[in-house]
Amino acid sequence: MKGFRSVYMVATCAGAALACYLVSLRVASERASLEDVETQIVLAQRDLRVLQTEIGTRGRLAQLERWNASVLAMSAPSADQFVGSSFELAKLTKPEHQVDFQAPVVLASAPAPERKPPMAEPATDDAGAPTPAATPTQLLHEASLKTETREVPVKPAAIVPQAAGPQLMGKSTDRPAAAAKLVDKKSVDKPGLAAAHPVTKPVRIAKVDPLAPLPAKHSAKPSKDHASGQ
Amino acid sequence: MNAPTPALVAPRPERLRLVGQRRQMLAVMHQRLMFGMLVYAGIVALIALRILWLAAFGDHAGRKFELTTLIPERGDIVDRDGEPLARTIDAWIIAIHPNKVIGDKLDLSRKLAQLMPEHSQEQYFALLRSGKPFFYLRRRASPSLVEAVNALGEPGLAIQREPDRLYPQTSLAAHVLGFTDIDGHGAAGAERAFDSLLSDPRTRGKPIVLSISSRVQQALEAELGDAMRHFSAIGAAGVVMDVHTGEVLAMTSLPDFNPNAPGQGASETHFNRAALGVFELGSTFKPFTLAMAMDSGVVSGPGQIYSCPDVLPVYGHLVHDTHPFGRQCSVAEIMMESSNIGMAQIADQVGTERQKAWLKKMGFLDKVEIELKERGRPLTPGSRWGPFETMTIGFGQGIAVAPLQLAMGYATLFDGGIYHPPTILKVGPDHPLKPGRRVFTADTSYRMRSLLRLVVLKGTGKKADAPGYRIGGKTGTAQKLINGRYSQTINITSFAGVFPMDNPRYVVVVMLDEPKATPETYGFTTAGWNVAPVVSRTVSRIAPMLGVTPDLNREPNMAEVLRFVQDPKQGAKKD
Repeated sequence: MKGFRSVYMVATCAGAALACYLVSLRVASERASLEDVETQIVLAQRDLRVLQTEIGTRGRLAQLERWNASVLAMSAPSADQFVGSSFELAKLTKPEHQVDFQAPVVLASAPAPERKPPMAEPATDDAGAPTPAATPTQLLHEASLKTETREVPVKPAAIVPQAAGPQLMGKSTDRPAAAAKLVDKKSVDKPGLAAAHPVTKPVRIAKVDPLAPLPAKHSAKPSKDHASGQ
Repeated sequence: MNAPTPALVAPRPERLRLVGQRRQMLAVMHQRLMFGMLVYAGIVALIALRILWLAAFGDHAGRKFELTTLIPERGDIVDRDGEPLARTIDAWIIAIHPNKVIGDKLDLSRKLAQLMPEHSQEQYFALLRSGKPFFYLRRRASPSLVEAVNALGEPGLAIQREPDRLYPQTSLAAHVLGFTDIDGHGAAGAERAFDSLLSDPRTRGKPIVLSISSRVQQALEAELGDAMRHFSAIGAAGVVMDVHTGEVLAMTSLPDFNPNAPGQGASETHFNRAALGVFELGSTFKPFTLAMAMDSGVVSGPGQIYSCPDVLPVYGHLVHDTHPFGRQCSVAEIMMESSNIGMAQIADQVGTERQKAWLKKMGFLDKVEIELKERGRPLTPGSRWGPFETMTIGFGQGIAVAPLQLAMGYATLFDGGIYHPPTILKVGPDHPLKPGRRVFTADTSYRMRSLLRLVVLKGTGKKADAPGYRIGGKTGTAQKLINGRYSQTINITSFAGVFPMDNPRYVVVVMLDEPKATPETYGFTTAGWNVAPVVSRTVSRIAPMLGVTPDLNREPNMAEVLRFVQDPKQGAKKD
């Protein structure tokens, strides 16, 4: 037993040394892979640099200036384009436009009964709903202003059968259909708007109130004879 | 019988001594052996420890030092916003080893001439047969050309990458940046001024941050270039400087060159008119004379009255005015109409000695203090500096300074009178602002504001005004000295402007060399017609970038000067 003691010692030492060596080997391999990553990072940085340089060169300021001169034509802002405070900024907006969507129903009803003989079929539906609020003259005036933009769909319905018959038969057949659809929509929308959501998209509402003022103006231009005759 | 009988015979004493010696020797030998073994073991242990140490903490043999951090061959130069202005990239080069060519040389030379037509087939052939070991065929070759040359398959052709200096903004700020020579050393501008920093491996990893703002620089170059072409001037220069720190935000000299290919342009395009060129800049000098007079107590304020005849005879010469008053006039009017006669009298009162001392203090008698190596030495009358020269210097004739120096003077005047040397390095933690030295009093500086604003509002510099930006400044039209005589028709026009005048922050100096008259200037070649609009356009482009908000309701205190200005319609003096 005693004779083997030195052998055990040697074996222990060798084992310890081997373990240490394995640890250091492991460390070295980890380090090597870390260095690989570092190298990759550096290579990526170099590529980034090259690409940045290329972009910078292609988009150099002198080139941008040339593009601006030939295509974009942007110029330096003038003094009145700067706003000093939020209050000044708020002043720039025009709140008048917002009035539109509060009054549409009322306005539409008012003009309708006055001069709508040619438009009679669609108007009758509308008139039923809005009539109660029809009175104030101011509102009437505003409604007439809006109507100009909305007239378009109404126009063909009123005109086609009377004056524009010979224009294009293909189109004329389509148009009445479109007009009829619009009319339907209006009649459907209006009650809903008036009752459920008074605040909807102003555009919609404007479409809805083609009503009286429009046809009057419209008919005045192309078919004065008819208007006067009727 | 003769056999020794040791037991019976006592050893002789000498033998005993011998035995003692041998033991001694043995002991010594043991000691030496032991020592030798110890040394050996020590060395082995050292090596083993070292190996273990290296295994645990050391770098392994394959480690690439250069790649662990990206250090360019030469440091970058960036502008104040970090936009790269100069970089080193790996460019392709195509070279040839004529001795190693194994293919048909005639055939190769024909193909090379097709690909790179800058030389003829005969030249390539002569080159291949010259027997010299190495030739560059093309530096900074395009990838498509490299590919085509590589496809020739000739082993004698060397296609490799080589660090090359690239200026991504091409000619932008060319004179500030400079360029490098074929060996990669700075040959001009910042490349030369900071060459050691840019090439030292310890410092080149960090880019050099210039005070230049590339957007401001571009605006200045574009507007000045337009004016130069429009007025057919032979050259132009411009400087934009921060009043409070002396940082040069833009400095240009036209015509310029492309630092990527510095050899291509004419050599005179390398001349930096803004820093190296010195010019008699004329009336833009007048504010300094007035500030000297105010600081010296010669002029009490803008209301002081001088006699302003149509012509002033002094010291055997005649002084003329472009807008003669022919009456008494106030200092405010002298500035407003840029009166030589009035300013000559003020300069005369300041006197030669005081004028010299002031100019010295302002740095107008020495080379401008800036990092660039291209610095012009001002021209002064020198030993001929008498009372008449004092007068002419008072209105800007007889002294020639660089436009950069003029900008520095205005920055001093409007930074509360404190001088900071101009710098092209961005002021920051790496380059702190050094304390300046006081030249003018703060009061003088303040009172000059409304006087210079008056010039732009009502005087010769009306076209320099940009609505809302409160530009103040002074026009200068100097006759050019040609063959020792002042030309009556050829001018150098300049404008030195400061904005916003109610709280000065930036100086703009622009100069046109020999502008010609055009129909819309009604035949005039004075500064108010050609350079002043450049300032207006440049300021309205750069001021929003520099954080100056236009405000139509703000002005310096004009009440200080307006009451001393006579309304030309009334013709009656207020004072």
